[in-house]
Amino acid sequence: MGISKSEAASALADIESTAGRGRLLKGYQIGGPILMAWGAVWALGYCAMGLLAPDRWGVSWLVLDAIGVAATILLSRRGKREVAAGARAANGWKTAAGAFAILAFVAATYAVFRPTSVEPAIVFPGLVTGLVYAGVGVAFAPRYLWIGAAVSAASLVGWFFFQPWLAFWMAAVGGGGLFVGGLWLRRA
Amino acid sequence: MAQLDELIHQPLRLKIMAALHAERDAEPVEFSRLKAVTQATDGNLGSHLTTLEKAGYVEIAKDFVGKKPRTRVALTPVGRKAFRRHVDYLRAVVEGVDGD
Repeated sequence: MGISKSEAASALADIESTAGRGRLLKGYQIGGPILMAWGAVWALGYCAMGLLAPDRWGVSWLVLDAIGVAATILLSRRGKREVAAGARAANGWKTAAGAFAILAFVAATYAVFRPTSVEPAIVFPGLVTGLVYAGVGVAFAPRYLWIGAAVSAASLVGWFFFQPWLAFWMAAVGGGGLFVGGLWLRRA
Repeated sequence: MAQLDELIHQPLRLKIMAALHAERDAEPVEFSRLKAVTQATDGNLGSHLTTLEKAGYVEIAKDFVGKKPRTRVALTPVGRKAFRRHVDYLRAVVEGVDGD
């Protein structure tokens, strides 16, 4: 028994979409715990901003970001066997270049717009993070779009309605939101 | 020339084989994840896995993680070979080597 060309093409498309869905779910399961770790980093960092004097903020974030990067590297090793070594190296460079571009963008924006109070400096990273996750969601993995939208919305709600407690708002809702988003990804 | 494998060609079995084939080093896949990837129901997935296991295309291992039962499925070397042959056949048909 043979099959038609269109049946064969449809079967090949099914194979490709199934393999793609498998890669996507695996990506979520690897990305979930990383997002949870960054949720904890956010919560601690913004709590530190709410509790410490502004001249200590830089050191706090430096230490917490270093912990976040170390956690990301450790948790990424779970996915080590999932991708070929070449692709892994390429992805590592892309991730590092992407993170550098985002940091440079935030620094450049502060340099140009020079916020005169601390509130814009507190809320802006939340908006940028939301944008980055939304971009990843549109381009590769749809669940990140919802996480990005939630982080951006939470940052704006804090800006408009909870300015006196903005740092704690960002710790609870931003950090908590990333943590819950990570749980959602992990269960995919 | 590659040939149609009617056992694999059934739509859900094709998805199961594709999902397992996509695993590097033939790593076993948990039943729950296979269910999510293939978008099948428990009963349907279980019955097609039994068919594939009887054909020697997949291996099913059951164990416990703590008190929780776990079922994992992996492609056998025979299954991997059969799937590749089936994909070669599909490509040949699409490229006009065979079929209508």
